[in-house]
Amino acid sequence: MRWELVYRATVYIAEEAGAALRRSALSPNIRERMDHSVAVLDAEGRIVAQAEHIPVHLGSFRVGVGRLLEALEREGIELGPGDAALVNDPYIAGTHLNDVMLLSPIHWRGRIVGYVVNKAHHVDVGGPVPGSINPWARTMHEEGVVMPPLKAVEGGQVRRDLLAVWLANVRDPATALGDLNAQLAANVVGTRRIAELLERYGEEVLEAWDSAIDYGRRLSLLALAGWPRGTFEAEDHLEWGEGLLPIRVKVSVRDDGVTLDFAGSAHQVEGPLNAVFGVTYSAAAFPVRCLLGSDVPTNEGFYSVVQVAAPEGTIVNPRRPAAVSGGNLETSQRIADAVFRALAAAMPERVPAAGSGTMANIMIGGVWRDSSWSYYETVGGGTGGRPGKDGVSGVHVNMTNTMNTPIEVVELAYPLLFTRYMVREGSGGRGRWRGGDGIIRSFKALAPMRLALLADRFKVGPWGLMGGEPGSPGRAYVVRASGERVELAGKAVLDLYPGDEFVLETPGGGGWGVPHG
Amino acid sequence: MRVAVDVGGTFTDFVVYDGGKVETYKLLSTPRQPEVAVIEGLRRLRGVREILHASTIGTNALLGQVGLEPPPVALFTTEGFRDVIEIGRQNRPRLYDLYFEKPRQLVPRDMRFEVRERVGPDGTVILPVDEGQVEALAEAAAGRGAAAAALSFLHSYLNPTNEAIAAAVLRRRFEYVSASHEVSPEPREYERTSTAVVNAALMPIVGRYLRSLSGYVEGIGARLYVMSSSGGLITVDEAARRPVQLVESGPAGGVVAAAELARALSITRAVSFDMGGTTAKAGTIVGYEPSITAEYEVGGEAHYGRLVKGTGYPVRFPFIDLAEVSAGGGTIVWRDRGGALRVGPTSAGADPGPACYGRGGSVPTITDANAVLGRLPPVLGGGITLDLDAAWRAMSGLGDPVDVAWDAVRLANMEMARAVRLVTVERGLDPADFALIAFGGAGPQHAAELAEELGISRVVVPPGPGVFTALGMLMADMKFEARMSYPGDLEGGFKRLEESLAWADPTYYVRLADVRYVGQGWELMVPVGRPASLDSVRERFEERHQAAYGFRMDRPVEVVTIRVFAVSVRERPRLPDPPAEGEPRPGRRKVYFGEWIETPVYRRDELPLGYALRGPAIVEEASSTVVVPPGWRATVKNMGVLELTR
Repeated sequence: MRWELVYRATVYIAEEAGAALRRSALSPNIRERMDHSVAVLDAEGRIVAQAEHIPVHLGSFRVGVGRLLEALEREGIELGPGDAALVNDPYIAGTHLNDVMLLSPIHWRGRIVGYVVNKAHHVDVGGPVPGSINPWARTMHEEGVVMPPLKAVEGGQVRRDLLAVWLANVRDPATALGDLNAQLAANVVGTRRIAELLERYGEEVLEAWDSAIDYGRRLSLLALAGWPRGTFEAEDHLEWGEGLLPIRVKVSVRDDGVTLDFAGSAHQVEGPLNAVFGVTYSAAAFPVRCLLGSDVPTNEGFYSVVQVAAPEGTIVNPRRPAAVSGGNLETSQRIADAVFRALAAAMPERVPAAGSGTMANIMIGGVWRDSSWSYYETVGGGTGGRPGKDGVSGVHVNMTNTMNTPIEVVELAYPLLFTRYMVREGSGGRGRWRGGDGIIRSFKALAPMRLALLADRFKVGPWGLMGGEPGSPGRAYVVRASGERVELAGKAVLDLYPGDEFVLETPGGGGWGVPHG
Repeated sequence: MRVAVDVGGTFTDFVVYDGGKVETYKLLSTPRQPEVAVIEGLRRLRGVREILHASTIGTNALLGQVGLEPPPVALFTTEGFRDVIEIGRQNRPRLYDLYFEKPRQLVPRDMRFEVRERVGPDGTVILPVDEGQVEALAEAAAGRGAAAAALSFLHSYLNPTNEAIAAAVLRRRFEYVSASHEVSPEPREYERTSTAVVNAALMPIVGRYLRSLSGYVEGIGARLYVMSSSGGLITVDEAARRPVQLVESGPAGGVVAAAELARALSITRAVSFDMGGTTAKAGTIVGYEPSITAEYEVGGEAHYGRLVKGTGYPVRFPFIDLAEVSAGGGTIVWRDRGGALRVGPTSAGADPGPACYGRGGSVPTITDANAVLGRLPPVLGGGITLDLDAAWRAMSGLGDPVDVAWDAVRLANMEMARAVRLVTVERGLDPADFALIAFGGAGPQHAAELAEELGISRVVVPPGPGVFTALGMLMADMKFEARMSYPGDLEGGFKRLEESLAWADPTYYVRLADVRYVGQGWELMVPVGRPASLDSVRERFEERHQAAYGFRMDRPVEVVTIRVFAVSVRERPRLPDPPAEGEPRPGRRKVYFGEWIETPVYRRDELPLGYALRGPAIVEEASSTVVVPPGWRATVKNMGVLELTR
C-alpha cells in the first residue's frame, strides 16, 4: 500500500467533510463566503491534511488544536467515541470569538488514532454589537460569549444544557444551531470515512500519515533551499487613534526552517486590534507559504519549518482578556505585510510590493420598516506591483478572500442605493510594475442608520519596493444631504440620514521598481 | 438519415442513423475553421435529412484559440458601475499565488461606457435613459472599433425599460447587440453582465460559423440543429441569438444519451461517467433527468472537481451539472520534488500523446499505465499500433513500471471517485445507490475499479462508448428556454413565458423555479406544476432543501427566477440488439490486477445477447476497452449494453 494513496484519500476526506459542513450550514457566510476549514489530525494532534478556503485559518489550527488538546488534558476531559469538544475562546482556538472550533476523536481498536477538527465563522456570537465584531470593545467580554473547551457532544448527541446556554446568548439561535449541527455533520462524515480507510488498510494508514508529514517537510525544505540564508528585518504599522502601532519582525532563514520573531512590536491596545497568537502564526506563515510555491501541502510537514515567536502582552500576542475581533481582520493583514517586507530584503526579485492591506470592514444597521437589519461587507483593493507584472486591481489581498455582496442583492434587502462601484483609477503606486488600483464603493442612505468603519492604510499608503512609489492611502467621507462633506478616519462610527452619501476609496497597491520616465 | 456531428479538440465524430443501424466514423478536426472537417465528413453521405451538431467553438474562442479570437466588444452600463465586470466578486482565484491574474478582460476599460440612467430595487425608473447620450456613446464605441455591444443596467431583470430603449438605439449601429435582460434576466449584476458580454463576444464568431455551415446544409436539402449545454437541441436562429448556450454543449450530449439509456434500462439513479483523453466528467441522473445547474464558469479552473469562482467567465444559463477532474487517458503520471507519485493535472494532449502511441511521446500517462498492466489491445482505436516497449520505458523512469502503473491507475480512480462523490454527496445522495454508466474512450477501462472505490455494484457500458456523446444528440429533444425574475403572480408569469415560446410548437412545457428562504444568498431549482401555486412550490423546495442540506427552516420562501423549457419530443433511434447466437473465442494474455493473471480477452462484437462472463476478463472493441476485474460478472443485454455487476 503506497502512502500517496492514503494521503490523497485523507485530503479528499477533509474536503468531503468541508463539503458536508458547507452543504448543511445555515449562514451564507459559511455557504457562500466559505469562511470555514476542516483538518484531519494524527493522535498527537499533528495536521495530516487540511481543506482550507480562507488563509487566516491556515496556521491558526495548528496553534488552536495544540492548545485545545492541552486544555482537555489539563481539565481531565476524555473524548470517547461519538464525543466532540467545542471551544471559541480565542486565546485557545486561535482566531476570534466568531470562529467556533469542534474536535472529534477517531477511535480505532480501542484507542484514539487521530482527530477530525473544523472551524466555522458564526455570524453572531452575542455581545453588544450584532455580528460580534465590536469596534468599541476594550476586552473580549465586550465582543461576545466565551466558550472554554467543553465536551459539547456526548455519544453523538449535543449536550442540551450547554446548548441552551449558548443559544440564549446569541442573536439568531436558529442560525447558530444550524451552523453548529453542520459542524457536527462534518466531523461525523470525516471520522466515519477515516474509519473506513482504517478498516480497509489497517495500521498502514497511520504510517502513511507519518510519510505524508515527512513529505510535506521534505518539499518545504527543498523549496526553502532556494532562499538565501540570513536574518532579515522589517517594520510596518497599523493606524490607531492619532498614532501608528509598529509591527516588527525579524525573519531568520536557516537550513532547517524559518523563524519569525515579533519582538519590538507594539504593546497590546484597549481596542479590538489585538491579534491572538494563532492569528499571528497564520499571518506569519502565509508569506512563507506563498513564496515556497503552490505544491507544498498544508500539513504539519510545512508548519514544522515555520517557527513564530511573539512576546506576550503585545498586539501580536495579547494577554487575556484583550479584545481581539479586529486582530483577524486588520492586524493579520499588517503582520503578513511586515513579513513580506522582511522577505523582500532577502529576495528582492521574488516579493511583490505591499497590497491594499486592509479588509475595509463596513458594518451598517438600523431599524427599517419596523425591523432591525444589519449588513456587513469587506472591500478589496489593489495588490502590489510584482517583479515582471503589474499588480491586480479590485481584489482582496493577503489573509482574506471572501466575495462581495452583489449590489442588486443589497439594494433589495436594505435601505441603500449605490452610486458607484468602480476601480479607483490611479491609486496604484507608480513603478516599473504598477500597483493594482483600489476600489470606490459608495451609496446613499435611504433611512436613518448607523455605520461603523474598520479600515487601515488611511494615513500611509501601501509601500512600494525597489524604487516603486507607494499606493494611495484609503479614504472615506460622507456627503450630507445638505452638501456638507465630512472626512472620516479609518476607524469611525457615525449616523447617516436619508440622502447622505457614504464614499469609501480603498488603497491601491505599491509599485515595484523605479518608474519609467 | 440523421447525422450527429461532435467537434472535439482532436477528432470530429460522426454518428449516422438511417432508421435501422447506427454507424460511426471520425475525422481529424480543423480547429481554425471547424466547419471544414464537418462538411468534409458530410460529403461522404447521401440522403442526409437532419444534422445535429455540438461544437466547442464558443469555449475555444473565449479561451483565446488562435484564429478564433473574439471581436472587440463594447459594454454599456449604468453610470458608476462600468467596472463591475472587472472587479467581479473581488476574490482572487488562488489563495497562495502572488502572481495570479484575473481572467483576461473581454472588454478593456476604454471600451466600457457609462449611461446616465437608474432603475431602483422595486423596479421603478429613478432616472430615464437619454437616447441622445446612448447614441453619442455608441458612436464613440464604434470609433474605437467595437464590433459587438453588450449592455447591462442595474435591476434590468426587474424592469427592462431603460435597457430596452438603449438596446434599440445600439441596434441601429451594431449588428450584434446583447442586452442582459434578454440573455439572463436574473439578479446579481456581475454574473448577468458577464453573461451579456460573453454572449456579445460569441455572437459574431458563432453567427459566422453557423451561417457558413447552414449554407452547406441547406444546399443539400437538410436541416441543422445545434446542441445546447442544457441537453436540448435548438435552432440555428436561437443559437445565433444566444450563443452562450453552446458553451459546453459537447459533454451535454453524453449525459443525455446516458439518461436515455437509464430510461430504457429502468435505472432510476445513475451516474454518467465520461472519461476521455484529458478529463473525466461525472453527472447525476435521477428519475431519468440529468441534474441541471443555473451557472457555469467558462474556462474556469476546478478545485477537487468544482469550478472555482473567479477563475473564468461566469455564464448564467442552464447547464447540465458536471464535476470534472483532470484524469484522462493522456493525463501525465509524474513524481514531484518531494518524491510523491502524482497524476495530472497536465496532459500529454493529442500530439504526441501517450508514449505507447509511438508518436514520439516519452512522458508516461494513464494510457501508458493501462498498457503496462496489459489492459490495452495491440491495435488501438484509430489504427494506432500499441508500442508496449515505449510505455514500459516511460513508466520505468518513475520506479518499478508495474508498481508505478498500478499506483497511478488507483490514484486516477481515487481522483475520479472524488468527482462522483461531489455530484452525489453535495445533493445528499449516496453514490452506493447508483449505477455507473461509463463511456468515453477511457471510461470502460476504469469503470469497475472506480465503482469499487465508491461502493457501487452495477456498471453499464453502452455500445460504442467512444462515440456515445455524439449518439446523445440523436436521442435529444428540442428544448427552448425562457426565464424571468420576481414574476409577482406565479401562474401569470409562467403563462407569459410559455406564450413567448409558443412559436416552437412544443409537445409540452417544463416549469422550473429558483427558490430560496428569504435572506439566503443562493437558490435551489425545483419543478413547478400547473397551475403554479406558491404552496406547492414551497413544499417541493423544502423537500429538496431537506435532501440537500438536511434541514428545513421556519422562514418564508421566495421565488427569485422562474424558467420554462418548451420541449418538442423527437423520435429516438432504437439501438439494435446483438445477435442471439454465437460462440465467442477469447484470446488470452496476462493482465495485472494486483498480481499478474492469465486473462481471457473477448471481442465485444462476438458476444451474443445474454452471454455472461466472469472477471477477470477484457472485452475489446474499436473505440474502447472494457476491464472486468476479478469478482465482477459481465452480461450482454438488450441494445448491446454490457452490464457489470459484483
